[in-house]
Amino acid sequence: MTAATLSLAPVEQEVTSTDEVVAPDVPWVTIVWNDPVNLMTYVTWVFETYFGYARPKAEKLMMDVHVKGRAVVSNGPRESMERDAEALQGYGLWATFEKDS
Amino acid sequence: MARAFLREKDHYVALLESTERTVLLGLMQQTRLLLSPEIEPTGDAFDDLVASMGLSLSAADQQTDSASLDDRDPALDRLLPTAHRGDDEIAAEFRRLTEEGLRQRKSGNLDVALACVDGAVGNRVVLDESQAPAFLMALTDVRLLLGERMGMRTEEDAEALHAAMDDIDDDDPLGYAMAWYDFLTWLQETLTHALMGTDLRDVVAAYDDDDVEDDLEEDVDDDEGRRPDGTV
Repeated sequence: MTAATLSLAPVEQEVTSTDEVVAPDVPWVTIVWNDPVNLMTYVTWVFETYFGYARPKAEKLMMDVHVKGRAVVSNGPRESMERDAEALQGYGLWATFEKDS
Repeated sequence: MARAFLREKDHYVALLESTERTVLLGLMQQTRLLLSPEIEPTGDAFDDLVASMGLSLSAADQQTDSASLDDRDPALDRLLPTAHRGDDEIAAEFRRLTEEGLRQRKSGNLDVALACVDGAVGNRVVLDESQAPAFLMALTDVRLLLGERMGMRTEEDAEALHAAMDDIDDDDPLGYAMAWYDFLTWLQETLTHALMGTDLRDVVAAYDDDDVEDDLEEDVDDDEGRRPDGTV
């Protein structure tokens, strides 16, 4: 039984391993969380300064943080998101990174 | 009475009185102390670069388990927050790789800001284009620390604290801390507007709130133990 089952398995196994190979490419995201200290103008300035976002986009993201409590501010490979989170923490924002779900 | 940061050609200038500069220096120094990196900037670009990569081998830096984080100052968790919610291992790895560099950068910003305030000529605190962003970030970290010390962790906390100011005792240190916190908020707001080239809109250009001025003056005249920076 075991051997017979295994002989049929390769197709499924291949699918599984493909998933595992693909997984690291799933984009990650950087999230900025609302906090009571950071100023709305300052958060907008940070998004403009660090990401180079135009003011309307920077203000939209800032409002999302303010109203919804959090906003995805960038996405991409994990290394880039770690870099963004580190930089934003340098600015004093409450930034985290995680795999996009 | 302080005057807001305004752009003057290619500089940003605020007028801060002696008391305001002294308290600002004290708060910045305390924030600098809390954030002090394991390896202080050496002035050698290469050594600083290596240190900023988080390559410190000291025992303290090897402790990334949650136990070692439990007994650290909660304000540090606000200044250097967890970067991954939900996976402690990823968060610890990120902290190990970035914390030293973040401490160096934040300390560097505070050093720039301290030098600018200390170097004021008369009441004029003058920032050039490269100093202004560092000053903004330094003010952010000072306010994060002060806010944490006052228990301001959520929007509700902030509202409750401001509401409590209406009938707080005159000699309650929290009142002084809050007055200085509001002053720093105003100062940062004006510098941000100046940097972004936007109008001050509803931000007043002169800091002349009577209550706060009273608090500031009382603070200076009072005994050392009641200085607001002592609460941090």
